[in-house]
Amino acid sequence: MTEQTAQVGELRYFLGNLFSVLFKGGRLYYAWLAGLSCLLVVGFISFIPQVRDGLAITNMREQVSWGFYISNFCFLVGVAAAAVLLVIPAYIYHFKAIKKIVAFGELLAITAVIMAITFVMVDTGRPDRFWHAFPILGSLNLPRSILGWDIVVLNGYLIINLIAVTYMATTTYFGKEPNKRLIMPLILLSIPWAIMLHSVTAFVFNGLAARPFWNASILAPRFLASAFCAGPSLMILVFQILRKVTKFEIRDSAIFKLAEIISYAMAINLFLLVAEVYKEYYSDTHHFAPMIYLFFGLHEHNNLVPWIWSAMVFNVIGFLLFLIPKTRKNFVTLNIGCVLLFVGIWIEKGMGLVIPGFIPDPLGEIYEYMPSQNEVLVAIGIYAFGAILYTMLARVLIAIDTGILRYRSAPPLVIDYDDGVVAQDIMSKGVLTVTPEATIDDIRSILVGNRISGVPVVDGENKIVGVVSETDMVFSLMHQDLELYEKFKSVMVPRERQRGGKLGKTAAEIMSSPAITARENTPLMELTEIITSRKISRIVIVDSQEHPVGVVSQIDIVKSQGLSPAPMQPEINYTI
Amino acid sequence: MKQLTRRSFLKASSAGLGGTVLGGCSEGFDWATYFQDRFEEMSPEEVQKTLKRLEKYYSNKYKTKITVKGTPSKENTVFGYALDLSRCVGCRRCVYACVDENNISRDVQIHYIRVLKMKDGDMNLEESDHYYNPDKVPEDDSYYMPVQCQQCDNPPCVKVCPVKATWKDPDGVVVVDYNRCIGCRDCMASCPYRARKFNWREPEIPEDKLNTETHYLGNRPRYRGVVEKCHFCLQRTREGRYPACVEICPAGARKFGNLLDPESEIRLVLENFRTFRLKEELNTQPKFFYFFSLG
Repeated sequence: MTEQTAQVGELRYFLGNLFSVLFKGGRLYYAWLAGLSCLLVVGFISFIPQVRDGLAITNMREQVSWGFYISNFCFLVGVAAAAVLLVIPAYIYHFKAIKKIVAFGELLAITAVIMAITFVMVDTGRPDRFWHAFPILGSLNLPRSILGWDIVVLNGYLIINLIAVTYMATTTYFGKEPNKRLIMPLILLSIPWAIMLHSVTAFVFNGLAARPFWNASILAPRFLASAFCAGPSLMILVFQILRKVTKFEIRDSAIFKLAEIISYAMAINLFLLVAEVYKEYYSDTHHFAPMIYLFFGLHEHNNLVPWIWSAMVFNVIGFLLFLIPKTRKNFVTLNIGCVLLFVGIWIEKGMGLVIPGFIPDPLGEIYEYMPSQNEVLVAIGIYAFGAILYTMLARVLIAIDTGILRYRSAPPLVIDYDDGVVAQDIMSKGVLTVTPEATIDDIRSILVGNRISGVPVVDGENKIVGVVSETDMVFSLMHQDLELYEKFKSVMVPRERQRGGKLGKTAAEIMSSPAITARENTPLMELTEIITSRKISRIVIVDSQEHPVGVVSQIDIVKSQGLSPAPMQPEINYTI
Repeated sequence: MKQLTRRSFLKASSAGLGGTVLGGCSEGFDWATYFQDRFEEMSPEEVQKTLKRLEKYYSNKYKTKITVKGTPSKENTVFGYALDLSRCVGCRRCVYACVDENNISRDVQIHYIRVLKMKDGDMNLEESDHYYNPDKVPEDDSYYMPVQCQQCDNPPCVKVCPVKATWKDPDGVVVVDYNRCIGCRDCMASCPYRARKFNWREPEIPEDKLNTETHYLGNRPRYRGVVEKCHFCLQRTREGRYPACVEICPAGARKFGNLLDPESEIRLVLENFRTFRLKEELNTQPKFFYFFSLG
C-alpha cells in the first residue's frame, strides 16, 4: 500500500515537472507556441470542409489524382532520413561530437514520419477505414502491394526510433546505465531501415509502368540522395536554434561534419538529375512529355515551370555554398545554403516529382494542378503540428539530459560530456599576436624572443586572419634566390599547403590563411586528428568571436598524455 | 481458422463499440460496414447477410426498394470485349447509357467511358480531343476511340491495392469492394487507361434515375471517397444480358461475349478480324480488343 502511494507520488512529481518543462518558458517560447497553435487551428478549420464535402474541395481531379498532400508526404519521408545520417558517423565511426545529438535527429525523424502519416491520412478518401491496412486485423496486401510495404516500413521506422529515444531518455531519467546490448542493435537496425524506407517509398512511384515520368530506375537512388540533403539541412538549422535558446551544447565540428555529408549527397543528387534529364532529352520519345511539361511547359500549360527553375537555382547555389569549404564553415553562408537546399528539394521532390507523373495523363489529357487554398492551409496546419511536437519532445529530452527532469531517488546527474581532455586544459594561454602590417623583422623578434615557432595574425578587431610559422619565415627570407625558394618549397611544404610559404615583407603577405583553428572545448582526439591530417605543428584555439585565446602545439599534446616513466631496470637481475 | 478468430474479434468489438457510439448517431449510418469482411472471402451465409443489410441500408437511404445481388461468376466464362473503330461515330450514347445503368455520380460527373477524337492516321493519345462538341458526328478527318476499363488479365491496379479491396473475379472482370476501399488512389495512378474513377464527393443520383436492380460488385450506389470502375455491367452480364454500352450503340460498334465459348460473338470477331490492344507494350494483357471491320 505504501509502495503504491510512493509510486503515485513519484508519478505526480514527474507529471508536475513535465508540465513545467512543457509549458513554462520565456516570452519567446510562448510566442512561438501561440503562433504555431494559431496555424494549427487554421489548418484544422480548413480541413472541416473536406470532412464535410470530401476531397472535391481540393484541386485534385481524375487526371491528377495525387497532389500537394502526397508531395509533402514524399518530401517528409526524405526528412526522416536525417536521423540515420547522424547515426552512421556517431556509431560506426565513433564521431563523438555527433553522438550526443543523435537523439535530436531521431526526434526529427519521429516528427517527420508522424507528419508524413498525417499527410497520407488527409489524402485518403476513407481515413475512417485505416485499419484495413493493419496486418492481421485488416487485409494488408502483402507481399504484392508496394504501398502495403510502405505502410509497414514507415510505421516500423517510427517504432524503432520511438523505442530508441524513449529507452535512452528513460534510463537517463532514472539514472541508470543503458544496456548497450539492447539498444545498439536497434540503433544499427535503423540505418538499413531508413534506406529501406526511402527505397520503398520511391518504389511506390517507380513501379507504375503507366507513368513514364516515375517509371525510371534512377528514382530510388535520387530519393536517397536528395533525402540526405534536405533532412540534414533542416537539422543544421534546428541545432543552431537549440544551442542558442537552450543550455544544450552542440559543437561546431558536429555541424560542419553534417555540412560535409550534405555536400557529397547533393553532388550525387545533381548528377543523378542530369543523368535522368539526359536520357529523356536525348531519346526524345513520348515519355519526354512530362519532363517537357515540368521544365518548359507543354502545349502552353506551364504552371510548374517557375517552380522547378527556382528549385534548380536554389539547389545549384546551395550546392556551391556547401561545396566550397570557406562558405561551408561560415555560419551565414552555411545557413543560406541550408535554406536554399531545403526549399529547393521541397519543390523538386514534392510537387516537382508527383505532379508531372500525371501530366499528360494516360489518355493524353493535360489538367493543370495547383493546390487549392484549403490544401495549402491544411498542409500548413500539419507542419505547425510537427513544429509543436518537435519543440515539446526536444524540450523534454533536453530537460532529461541536463537533469532538470529527473527521478528523485536517482543518483545525481553527472553531466558527462565524455570529452575527456579538451583544448582549454592543455593550451598555452596568453597568446601573442601580430597585426597584418607587422614586418618580417618584427615577427622574427617575437618568435626568437619568446622561443615560439609561430604566431597568429589578427585584424583590428582581434579576429584571427592567419598564422605565420617558422616555415613561412624561412621562405620569406629566400626572396633573393627564387630557384632555391622553389626547390625548398617543393620539398618542405606539404602539397595541401603549397599556397602557403609565400614571398613578401609583411605578416599579411607571408601568413598561411585562413588559419586552422579550433574552439576551447574541442576534445583532444579531435585536435590530434586535425594536427596530423592537416600536417601542421600547432593549432590556434579561438573563442566564439574568433579571437585567439591559446595555442595547442604538438608538444602540448604529448605533454598532456602524462606518460609514466618506464621503470629503470636493475643492471643485474639476480636473486639468491 | 484465422479468419474465424478475426471475425469473431471484430464482431465482439463491433458489439461494444457500436453499442456505445450508435446511441448518439443518426439512424441511417451503416455501422456494420466497418466490421464486414472482403466480399471475396465471405461464406455464402455471410454474403446473404451482407446483401440483406445493404438492401436495407440503400432502401432506407434512397427511400425506394433496392435489390443488391451477389451473383457469382458463371463457370467456364471469361468475358471479352471488342470495339469496332471503323463503326464508332463518337456519339457518346454509350457514355451516358453507362452512367444511367450503373448509378454513377452526376455531380461530380464520373464517366466510365471516355471517347477520344483522334486525327486520321494518328494513334498519339496526346493529340486526342476529349472535349469535342460539334453539331454533328462523325467529323471529317477524324475517327473516335472510346476507352474504358480494359479488364486486364495482368492488372496493375490489383497488385498495387494495399488492402486487397480490388481483384479479378473468375470471369476476368476486375471488381472493387466499395466497402473495403480506403481511397488511397494508388490504383488510379497505376492504371494506364485512366479507367479508375474516384468519388471526390458524395455521389449524386437523381431519384428518378436510380437503377434499383444492383449487384454488390457492380452498380450498387457508391460511397464518398472510394474508387469505382467499369465492371462490364456484371449485374447484367452475369444474368446473360449485354452491357448497357453494347445495347445502346447505334452503330453496332461494340461486341461482347464469352472468350471461352467458340460460338460467341467475341470469338467471331477475334477469328475474322485483325485486332489490337491498347498499350500492349505494358503487358497488361487487356481483354478489350480494337478492330476495324470496314476498310
